[in-house]
Amino acid sequence: MAEMWITMGPQHPMTHGLWTLRVKVDGETVTDTEAELGYIHRGVEKICEARDFTQITPYCDRLCYVSAMTWAHSYVMAAEDLLEAEVPERAEYIRLMAAEVQRLASHLMWLGAFGPDIGNLTLMTWCLRDREMFLDLLQELGGSRMHYNYPRIGGVKRDIPIGWGNRLKAKVKLFEHRIDEYEMLLDESTIWLVRLQGVGYATAEDQLNAGVTGPNIRAAGVNTDTRWTNPYSVYDQVDWEPAVEKPTSVKGADCYDRYRVRMEEMRQSCRMLLDAIDKIPGGANTHYQPGDEMILTKAPTRAPEGATGFSTYECTRGVSNFYIQGGGDGRGKNPYRLSIRSPMFITIPYVAKTMIGYKIADIPAIMGSFDPCIGETDR
Amino acid sequence: MVTAVTKEQNAEAAKAVVENLSSRFSDAGVVAEVIAHTSGKAYDFVRITCSPDQWRGVAKHLKNEVGVNYCAMVTGTHFPEGGADRGWEVAYHMYRWPIANVAAHTMTVLEGDKLKGDEIPVEFEIFIPLPAGDTPSVPSIQDIWEGADWNEKETWDLVGIDFEGHVNMHRVLNPHDSPVAFHPLQRQHKIRYHDFNEMYDDPQGFGRKPVDEGRVK
Repeated sequence: MAEMWITMGPQHPMTHGLWTLRVKVDGETVTDTEAELGYIHRGVEKICEARDFTQITPYCDRLCYVSAMTWAHSYVMAAEDLLEAEVPERAEYIRLMAAEVQRLASHLMWLGAFGPDIGNLTLMTWCLRDREMFLDLLQELGGSRMHYNYPRIGGVKRDIPIGWGNRLKAKVKLFEHRIDEYEMLLDESTIWLVRLQGVGYATAEDQLNAGVTGPNIRAAGVNTDTRWTNPYSVYDQVDWEPAVEKPTSVKGADCYDRYRVRMEEMRQSCRMLLDAIDKIPGGANTHYQPGDEMILTKAPTRAPEGATGFSTYECTRGVSNFYIQGGGDGRGKNPYRLSIRSPMFITIPYVAKTMIGYKIADIPAIMGSFDPCIGETDR
Repeated sequence: MVTAVTKEQNAEAAKAVVENLSSRFSDAGVVAEVIAHTSGKAYDFVRITCSPDQWRGVAKHLKNEVGVNYCAMVTGTHFPEGGADRGWEVAYHMYRWPIANVAAHTMTVLEGDKLKGDEIPVEFEIFIPLPAGDTPSVPSIQDIWEGADWNEKETWDLVGIDFEGHVNMHRVLNPHDSPVAFHPLQRQHKIRYHDFNEMYDDPQGFGRKPVDEGRVK
């Protein structure tokens, strides 16, 4: 049969954002693919060269609109490395909890968007319902539902409100039961299993060589996780284990494994949150004023030329990196160069290549199982 | 509870890598040193400085002998006032992680305190200063780490550093019909309101004037 190119996107339910997948098909079989990115490139790296270090945090929030807290956290870690700022332990605990609540919200958004791809609309309504609980918790911290501007270089903007810990505990405990409900809904659904199992294989070594990280590689049976290989914050003090899935084939993890690993990761986030709220120094029901030395230490505002800062962070979709060079305008008030490594920018071209050999109807399942986010891809 | 890689393990592994690299490349003038981060847990990483000619050799050594299996990011920087030897710079960030494929229905549960020798994760930072001029160029490592592929495309697209030997180089973030030799992260390009004070002096935006400007109020 004659081969032909089909363009999926930039507006297509499969893309979960704005990008184009060009697919070469022979009948129904995919024989070649090409990813085209850059539709919402905003030039964040260039803008940051004209902003001082505090002003950059909100731009980093907007890198990924479903995982703002983790991106801002990743940025402030690099800025702290550059400016040599210390972070109080209470602030580290608060940041950890904020990041894990964000991880729950982000994975729920992924599951809610992935369900309709596979043909399960119930899932979207259930996930968005539960995501509200966690957005409310984040709103109490940062003041808004989406872009929080919460971490600060040297700490956090404000302390957790009185009663936040109790609300967190109640919501997390409720949500642990909800995860079981999701699994009852999905793991016995024939449509779900047939569309996900045996599709989109990827081995651990291939993925790492291609630069794919995070839950996608943990689904292939290896517990690589920067939260323990390069521990930051207080991840070495709270109770958790990396979520790992046993891949179903020697060909690596399939879409079902990647779904399973994210469900397990949500359980681990719950475990971490319940432990952290009990261990937080100063107690969960204490509220320190903004700027108190328990939650914020004063950081220098200028970085000399030649100084560099680097952070490695387990974002919800993989490892994100920030690399900052000091010595920009205003005697080092701005970064000279700020570079962002987005996990999805590398993952999307890789996933496009793994689709080769599968049917055209498998494309939404394969793409969705890798959790694409175009905001951070295009920056 | 997960056992994290400890600071001692990390320091030991970084030192071993630097010794390995020094014994192989110190005659060629490649500098490898252990540097500590200044925040968080202050873990060590290995910083390598080499010239573009040495880069492919160093990269192959890192991949095959040291076990670096993950190329995280490529950053190009333009230094218009950096002098003749350092008009541009490429920085690579890489990792060695203990990852191997597993058989079906199994998994590898790695624990920090049980890792030894080459299994201990190490972070790498490689600086390649390039001479000033209009045609900065560095050899591509696309065929060594597949992960460098799109990072190099992005670096060429945004900064304009040419990667010799890179197959299928094209624009990735800028529009495909961007002018030739337009690379927005070069320092001669300024964004509007580069200094944010300019923004306050231009309340109408785009340099427009209010309709009643000049009129006595």
